[in-house]
Amino acid sequence: MSQLVAQSIVSGILLGGIYGLVALGLALAFGVLNVLNVAHGELLMLGGYLAFFAFTRWGLDPFVSLPLVFIVMFGVGILLYLGLFRFVTKAEIHTRIKNSLLVSFGLALALQALAVRFFTADERTISTAYSSEAFTLGSIRIPIVRLAGLVVAVIAALVLEWILSRTRFGKALRATSEDWTRAALTGIDVRRVYQIAFAISAALAAIAGSMVSLGYSVSPSIGLGWTLKALIVVVLAGLGSMRGIVLAGIALGLVESLASVWIGGQYREVAALVLFLIVLSFRPHGFFGRAHA
Amino acid sequence: MLEVEGLEVAYGDLQVVWGVSFEVHRDSIVAILGPNGAGKTTTLLSLMGLLPRKAGSVRFEGEDLSGLPTHEIVGRGMVMIPEERAAFQTLTVAENLELGAYSLREKEAFGEALGEVFEIFPRLAERRKQAAGTLSGGERQMLAIGKALMARPRLLILDEPSLGLAPIVVEDIFGVIRRIRDRGVSVLMVEQHVEMALEVADYAYILETGSIVARGTGPELEADVRVQEAYLSL
Repeated sequence: MSQLVAQSIVSGILLGGIYGLVALGLALAFGVLNVLNVAHGELLMLGGYLAFFAFTRWGLDPFVSLPLVFIVMFGVGILLYLGLFRFVTKAEIHTRIKNSLLVSFGLALALQALAVRFFTADERTISTAYSSEAFTLGSIRIPIVRLAGLVVAVIAALVLEWILSRTRFGKALRATSEDWTRAALTGIDVRRVYQIAFAISAALAAIAGSMVSLGYSVSPSIGLGWTLKALIVVVLAGLGSMRGIVLAGIALGLVESLASVWIGGQYREVAALVLFLIVLSFRPHGFFGRAHA
Repeated sequence: MLEVEGLEVAYGDLQVVWGVSFEVHRDSIVAILGPNGAGKTTTLLSLMGLLPRKAGSVRFEGEDLSGLPTHEIVGRGMVMIPEERAAFQTLTVAENLELGAYSLREKEAFGEALGEVFEIFPRLAERRKQAAGTLSGGERQMLAIGKALMARPRLLILDEPSLGLAPIVVEDIFGVIRRIRDRGVSVLMVEQHVEMALEVADYAYILETGSIVARGTGPELEADVRVQEAYLSL
């Protein structure tokens, strides 16, 4: 195996971890609220800027600011739910998806315009003292700042799985995702579950953004690209398994980077979309998903 | 215990329930009977705050329930078991029972309720680790009732408890409903099986196209010629 291929396998896995992390939040909002939030990538962008400014203005290391970014964007998620998505969830399950597309597309445009206005259109990257450091395996480089993205993704998936299977709130969340009417008849405050699930979703997008501005870069226009990646990952994995989503993210990262080595850099996205179509045709519930009634 | 007066419910322009009034007294089993499409389920969903009321009032233990969200109605001790698949299919039996007690605040009450449910349905204790989706029809209905009892209801509302069950299982379920009443839980149930329901109910109402057309105790309704012709195979 050539060194180029080995290096791109590693890069693909590292980038794929972030795809998985972004997709976790999208899947949570979709699975629980039946809301397809196409502004998910813009929430990632906001998280990225938050980490960037915390570093440049206050000198906070991105790992120190990670909990802060989570908490601030959890709050933003609550406000977005109360101000916008609450009205979407008043509709029947089947009309929610198209209504949420309209609402969140508008939100995406607004957040993008605001980001250009306040942060300028420049690309930003957090450059810390350790930004250029890397582990080396033979001739393969594993940059620390990119490895961090994968580690954060795996931890987030495991914590989410623990919450869903072990806590009272997690069980209420699974019940609501299965059937909100029955959840309400069980005594669960469905609106509150929606609110918190959406807030967690936004906070997960934001910590992915932190990792993006550390290992890659952020600019006001990156949102849509990340939303599309997350969407592909959710279709690959299906709903129902958090670690399945991170695995699917890694698979997407691998396919993209191998396609760019073997076929050519301009075909990365094409390879990803072909994979998306193949899975959609043959496994519409994804590799780890459960069929919805 | 429950007083419903002049209830009217509509889906948009289509009105389904027209001025329905009924009562459930403490420690009694009351049945609302009638054919498919009479508005029985609609009536129940509206009592639970899941469908808006066009007119009428619902009072539970003297308090007006208007405008209360469903989970708060459950918290007050009025618990409904929807028809079919009332339990969460992807959760285990134990998780379903745990969620049933979601509105309970104290830990001791949870243990007590669980003990009672396992006493009534020993089968559920055996299957506690199993996913609800893998249970048989009868076991599913037991889980649905057990889950509702976990909320320590004072009024239990059942929507078609006999639906899709073999007659022998239905006998069992009706037996359980009597035992629940004897433990001090009042019961309101909706049924299409008129004959069987009249055997357990202390009082019954007959609902046709959104209005109550007859009412009375089991023997009174069985003696009513109209009821005999329409519902009883005598």
